[in-house]
Amino acid sequence: MGRVPDRLAIDKSDRALYDNDIIQNEIFEGKTRKEQFLFAMSIGFRNGVRSPLNVGDGFFLSKDMRSEDEALIDSLALFISESEDTLSDREEVFKIAEEYAHAGIKILFDDITSMQPGSYNKKLEVELASIIEDL
Amino acid sequence: MRIERVVLRNYRQFQKIMVSFHKRPDTDLNYIIGTNGTGKTNLLNALNWCLYGDEPHLSKDSQRLPLLNLRVVERTDIGQEREVAVEVWAKTFQGKPITFCRKSKFRKQDEREITHLGNVFEVMYEDDRGNTIIVTDDAAGMWVERFVPKSIREFFFFDGERLDNYFKEATRQNIRHAVFQISQLDLLENRVERKLQDIIDEITREAGRMSPKIKEARAKLKQDQGSFKELETRVGECLKQIEIAKNMINDYNDKLIDVPDVEDLENKKSSLEFEFNNTRELLLKKENEKNKILLEYGTILMLWDAIKKANEIIIEKRQNQEIPPPINKSYIDELLQNDICSVCGRQLDDDSRKQVQKLLSEVEHSSESNNRFVQMEYPLSEYIKMVTEYEDKVSMITRDISIHNKRLTSIENDKNQIDKQMAGYDKELIRNWYQERAKYENLRDENQQLFGRLELMLKNARDELEKSQKDLDNEIKKDKKVKHLYKKISFCERALKVAGTTRDKMMQETRDRIEAETKKYFFKLVWKKETFSNIIISDDYGISLIHTMGYDCLGSVSAGERELLALSFTLALHHASGFDAPIFIDTPVARISDVNRENFAKVLCEVSTLKQTVLFFTPDEYSFAISRYLDGRASGRYQLKLSEDERVAILEEL
Repeated sequence: MGRVPDRLAIDKSDRALYDNDIIQNEIFEGKTRKEQFLFAMSIGFRNGVRSPLNVGDGFFLSKDMRSEDEALIDSLALFISESEDTLSDREEVFKIAEEYAHAGIKILFDDITSMQPGSYNKKLEVELASIIEDL
Repeated sequence: MRIERVVLRNYRQFQKIMVSFHKRPDTDLNYIIGTNGTGKTNLLNALNWCLYGDEPHLSKDSQRLPLLNLRVVERTDIGQEREVAVEVWAKTFQGKPITFCRKSKFRKQDEREITHLGNVFEVMYEDDRGNTIIVTDDAAGMWVERFVPKSIREFFFFDGERLDNYFKEATRQNIRHAVFQISQLDLLENRVERKLQDIIDEITREAGRMSPKIKEARAKLKQDQGSFKELETRVGECLKQIEIAKNMINDYNDKLIDVPDVEDLENKKSSLEFEFNNTRELLLKKENEKNKILLEYGTILMLWDAIKKANEIIIEKRQNQEIPPPINKSYIDELLQNDICSVCGRQLDDDSRKQVQKLLSEVEHSSESNNRFVQMEYPLSEYIKMVTEYEDKVSMITRDISIHNKRLTSIENDKNQIDKQMAGYDKELIRNWYQERAKYENLRDENQQLFGRLELMLKNARDELEKSQKDLDNEIKKDKKVKHLYKKISFCERALKVAGTTRDKMMQETRDRIEAETKKYFFKLVWKKETFSNIIISDDYGISLIHTMGYDCLGSVSAGERELLALSFTLALHHASGFDAPIFIDTPVARISDVNRENFAKVLCEVSTLKQTVLFFTPDEYSFAISRYLDGRASGRYQLKLSEDERVAILEEL
């Protein structure tokens, strides 16, 4: 069994994006770091963009993840690596999650800052409706 | 009596002016036109000053100025004396001249101070032999009382601005009092009844001196009379308060017609604001809930392909039994250690123990990846279930948000509507009117309750008084020493009773006559002949104007119609009183709308055929609607102007 990293990281440059007032007001207000990270990760995955971290910056502790959170990052790692063995490599699983979150937070930031205040939720709602439709 | 001319010297704006009131056989109408400040109202004040020594219509501006004309003040040397004089030249109904003259002397002390040195009032008249007699002070005052008594001058010298409020301001008691005086019934009460009462008092006092019992009964009667009178005064005061309150309520009701109820609207607005804030809080709560759902479900839905694929792998592995059962290893360890089934509490037998050991072995020997699959299995199945609920959850919360948004818009509209209703109104003033009306409603209610109590007290006091009177009569009757006095008392009491009955009868007749005359004038002069059916003057002189539909409409008629009723009532009073005094009206149509001005002009022409009429108009008032009737009918027409330095009024005959 490989080493299990004690925390999940974001790129150091992303911290300002996570803490940006507009993003906070539009979607992240009252959300935990873990929830913010997982959402950014899902956006990265949805957009098919993965980006390696330049400088890692611990964002939240891995012990704070519950089985349902781990199921999400494990599903992502399994889908991307197409190898069951990846699941036993926790460093790799976390790395995949971090890289998608790194790409995802940039997409989210660009998205939110390019539209009228208060309209991101509407856009998200429409996008989620289209996903539901394709299920 | 007719006023022929008024001469003013150094009185306020008037340095030296004589106004002659002309008369024609068919009309006795004079009018004076002048802009505000030229002295129209001060002409009315001059009449009052000459006859009664006061100026009841004095404006605030005039109150600050001396009685002595300003130009005269400027041209007077320090220490020099000047005289203000107003003369009213009249003719009695027998055609004999009578002149009322009041003079006031002033000395200029310095540039700022003018000292009043004293008044002289004199009346000059011709006696039966043609001799000219001059009387001063009280004797002169008596002549004024025969001309127009001071207490009823308001019925002869009108301010048109207030004529519309006539029935609001004149309480029933005031009208009753006026009728009492105008009909000279006060003479009967003051001179005959009071004298008889004095005689009775004197005789009973004399009887009291002869018998201690009579003295005692008389003292008791006096005491009861005092209590009764005091109660009567209180009842009168109470009724007066009720009347004032009712008039004020009507006055405020008039002011508040078509005016929004600011207090009510502000309360409504405040409730709306409270509801708005609550709804906005609910909306924010719902929006936060939706935001949470979107983020939570967004994460799952955007990872859907990965979740779906992982779930498919797990299902396949489960079917192929490639992954261990979803059992917690520490739970199995515990089970074997305790040797008791934690579900049914039974001790494990050999078979069961072997089964559990087999499970433990499967879990222990499974790969880490397979154990990960086991851990993922349940959460992923839950995510798949959750996704099916997403649409319902979002649509429900979106519907709630929409309801709150609609409510907020509706509240906002209601608030705007209220703002529109209140726009342009002086809220403070209106609020004050509502508060004042409420105050007078309280006053009315309190006094009505008090009146009920006082009436009962008055009834008891009357019973007590009658009993005391009987006791005294009996004492006097049974005492032989005072038998001769008893006869005198009986006679006086009978006379007093007759006087009282006569007074009441005359009062009733006067009231009937005034009612009939008011009706006669009003229905002759009114322009809407079909609208009104009757005028009723109640015993307590409450005046009702009855609509053809049968209800009292005095409170809701136009200012012109109300003014006409006041004028008719005044003409009726003139007729009933026998005082053939002229009628002066300052700004007669100030409160009458253009439509009714023409009608009112006709009315004033009619009035001028009945008695001497003098009118004071502003140029605005004297519009075409008035001039087309009055220009040809007037027997005298004047215009008042101010000199260039605005110190002196100039009168020009038109």
